Amino acid sequence: MTETIKHKAFIFDATRCIDCRACMVACSVENNIALNKTRIWLAGEGIMGIYPDLQRGTMVYHCMHCGHPDCLSACPVGAYTKRLDGPVEYDGDKCIGCRYCMNACPFGVPHFDYDKGIIEGAFIDKCSFCLQRVDNGLEPACVATCPTDALEYGERDELLAKAHARIAAHPERYINHVYGEFENGGTSYLILSHVPFNQLGLPTLPETPVNEVSEQVISLTLPAALGIGAVLTVTAVGVSLYNKNKEKASAQKEPEDVK
Amino acid sequence: MTKTISRRDFLKLGSAAGITLAVGQMLSPKVAQAARDAGHLNAAGDGTIPSLCEMCVWRCGLLAKVQKGVVVKLDGNPDNPHSRGNLCPRGQSGLMNTYDPDRVLTPLIRVGQRGEGLFRKASWEEALDRVANGMLDIKQKYGPEAIVFSATHNLSQPLFENLLYGFGSPNYGTQRSLCFNAMIVANLMTYGTEEPARNYSKVKYIILTGRNLMEAISTSETHDLSQVIDEGVKVVYLDPRYTKTASKASEWLPIKPGTDMAFHLALLNIIIGEGLYDKSFVERYTVGFDILAQEVKKYSPDWAAQITGISIETITRIAHEFAAAGKYTLAHNGWRTSNFVNSFGTQRAITALNTIMGNWGTTLFPGSGEGAGLGAPLQPPYPRVSALRLDGVPWKYPFVPLKLGIFQELREGVVNGDPYQAHGWFISRQNPVMSIPDRGRTLQAFRKMDLITTIDIIPNDTAWFSDVVLPEASYLERFDPLNVVGDKAWLRQPVIEPQGEAKSALWIYKQLGERLGLGEYFQYTDEEDYLRQQLAPIGVSLDEVKKTGYAQLPVEPPNIYNWNTTTGKIELFSETLSKAGFEGVVKWEEPPVPAEGQFYLLTGKMAQNTQFGTQNNQLLHKYSDEPRLWMNAAVAAERGLKEGDWVEATSDVGRIHVMLHPTEAIRPDCVYMTPGYGHLSKALTTAYGIGACDSVLHKTFTDPISGSQALSQTFVMVQKA
Repeated sequence: MTETIKHKAFIFDATRCIDCRACMVACSVENNIALNKTRIWLAGEGIMGIYPDLQRGTMVYHCMHCGHPDCLSACPVGAYTKRLDGPVEYDGDKCIGCRYCMNACPFGVPHFDYDKGIIEGAFIDKCSFCLQRVDNGLEPACVATCPTDALEYGERDELLAKAHARIAAHPERYINHVYGEFENGGTSYLILSHVPFNQLGLPTLPETPVNEVSEQVISLTLPAALGIGAVLTVTAVGVSLYNKNKEKASAQKEPEDVK
Repeated sequence: MTKTISRRDFLKLGSAAGITLAVGQMLSPKVAQAARDAGHLNAAGDGTIPSLCEMCVWRCGLLAKVQKGVVVKLDGNPDNPHSRGNLCPRGQSGLMNTYDPDRVLTPLIRVGQRGEGLFRKASWEEALDRVANGMLDIKQKYGPEAIVFSATHNLSQPLFENLLYGFGSPNYGTQRSLCFNAMIVANLMTYGTEEPARNYSKVKYIILTGRNLMEAISTSETHDLSQVIDEGVKVVYLDPRYTKTASKASEWLPIKPGTDMAFHLALLNIIIGEGLYDKSFVERYTVGFDILAQEVKKYSPDWAAQITGISIETITRIAHEFAAAGKYTLAHNGWRTSNFVNSFGTQRAITALNTIMGNWGTTLFPGSGEGAGLGAPLQPPYPRVSALRLDGVPWKYPFVPLKLGIFQELREGVVNGDPYQAHGWFISRQNPVMSIPDRGRTLQAFRKMDLITTIDIIPNDTAWFSDVVLPEASYLERFDPLNVVGDKAWLRQPVIEPQGEAKSALWIYKQLGERLGLGEYFQYTDEEDYLRQQLAPIGVSLDEVKKTGYAQLPVEPPNIYNWNTTTGKIELFSETLSKAGFEGVVKWEEPPVPAEGQFYLLTGKMAQNTQFGTQNNQLLHKYSDEPRLWMNAAVAAERGLKEGDWVEATSDVGRIHVMLHPTEAIRPDCVYMTPGYGHLSKALTTAYGIGACDSVLHKTFTDPISGSQALSQTFVMVQKA
């Protein structure tokens, strides 16, 4: 079992989330995210059961800021670093756009920005931990605005204690597990849920991160990965792949009352 | 993580894709200087300014982060009791209303046919003269009553009313009959107050009747409800739809539409019959209890079970649980989920249930008064108006407050020319084309008009059919009159200079008032002068209020046990209603039911939009679900209908085409549509072409007591398109 790291973290409580998406909008504005991109996603089965015996399972998630990040392990150029206080940082200046991190991340978080060229540097987009806020004593934008306190931010140890206290106080309400306590080396995005975690869309991960050893090996092979092949791969990527246009759904027929 | 709903769904953007928020103007000297003087901005023009949100009418406090004259982020103001540091998705997206690429930035005058969308830019001088001269022409030919005025729930409403009543028209349209007339009139007839304030700090048991607080977000109240649910308070939720509130409630009862009153009558039957109510409270503070007790004897749980579809055991158990919680109970006034012509009775039953539990002073309190202690500019009395109102208030509808009116009946009065023909419609920040039921008929009413004027920030559907459009400054660009919440008056102040030539409502109304010869109703030199006159009696300077965002008001100890009713008590029986020929005590009224093959058409709210006004906000558009027609999954399967199929929904008054969303989350006899979609204005480039409009289908049904529109009383046929 991995020793948990002393650092900052988020906690998300699915029993409190009302799926209002204020966090998603707040993140978009705070980080000036383009209108066709996002750093927070909605996941989960949604409404489950047969009428009228229903329950709802949804969650919002962004980068889990893992204790042993697979993105970091997979990155051939060291564009990722794990800060001691929690955040997994991404450095666009180092990134060569190989997208190994996208394949490595068990949560599907890093996204490739096909609209950006090599000269602009940053290819990958993901949650930045709102460092511009937290380093100035503010909560991350998603947490600060949450109207139901489904998202909270604080010292990871304290949040873990709080999570276990909530489960102990309401064992009938929660699954008896804090997702992220040990997964991937202990993440900085902790999750409490009333439905099994796979119904929230979360993968089942071993408690001992598989990359614990490989991280060290990878760090020795960095120079070799800086080959021209990786650069060529990037430039060959079809830019139009994500250029999805909105369906102008019901415009096809004029409403009756207008005529 | 395969079930990433929004990774698939959120990429909805069309031509506007890729536009980021870096638009706006450089910080102009005036707003910047004021913000520097108040200590909000530094020399570089960066900083945070307190103001008020206007993405709905809850008016949360906000802190606007400004960089070099551009709003870059809005946060909830922790000091404000409505926001407590949080903003909902609409509040978070507010800056995109201001920076909407479709905004109206200059006055516009129509050059094509109405509805063609062809306008030319005009100067304020020309546009205001055009509106004023047109209105004066109509007044001269047909009298002042030939102009209809309509506006919705704004802080500048008192000045709008000056324009209307000073001009001499009785015809005042608000949106309230489409929303909550039944609740307000029921509260007035019972408590003598429009809406008692709710306090969740001591509550132990809540019944929510169609009050979808987790999607119709009022930030602080939504937070309160979430908090008490977390603490283990029991919440019973009545709604034909499994909403997000249903998913958080302890118990969801998918009640048959239109029968909420029967459920509450059965609770009254059990609680009174078994003597489980607060006898000393009832004796001391109420009138008419005996008549109520006699009436509810008829309404056994057996009777209610057959009507509501909720079992006798469940009704009985909830009655006992509710009664056991004593005065720590709250039966929440519903809003609109299941709105029938009997909704006034439903609301009366809810107020009766609260009353007999003696929860007044524990979970319910008198509503906070407006403008206590504040001043206002001097103005002469209004001219006497002798013309009847087109909406029939009060001559057909004696219990509907004049300030509420009946919007759908006003429209009927215009279409029918009864009792006279209206010729002009002056609209501020409202979208009647979309909001009034039976949209085809509203457009018919528009065709009767010689002059339609709309004040708004975006070219909404009503502006699209108007003759003159006047651009208003957004809520981040203007001052408004103060907003009183409890013991504080909160300030809305500009955090950036208005875009284009947009102006505040206070400026527009005054300019127009002067041109209409009503200058004496607008005795302020500018917005700041108006605010100084408001603040004068409490001795606080505007500069101080700009700094803190609010002014402290003198605190008056509330007199809780004092009701502004005829008897001075809570009226379980209303002599006033009885004398007017209505039932003095709540009595069951059978709602109509759909014919074979028809569905109840439900509407509701979603967290990402407010009514008909925000669908063009690109940030909200980005994060909202595509609006589709909900149908019970089993019913859809029987009919061979699948997700995404095009279906045709037909009512007696209209037909729409819409995509289907089969779901377990709705009763088999209902379908549901999110309101506010299916816009007609092609100038709304984000919202146009999305979804369909429920108002096309809605039939007009008016409750004779409260004037409330029975929004759920429209039945539709649905078939594959």
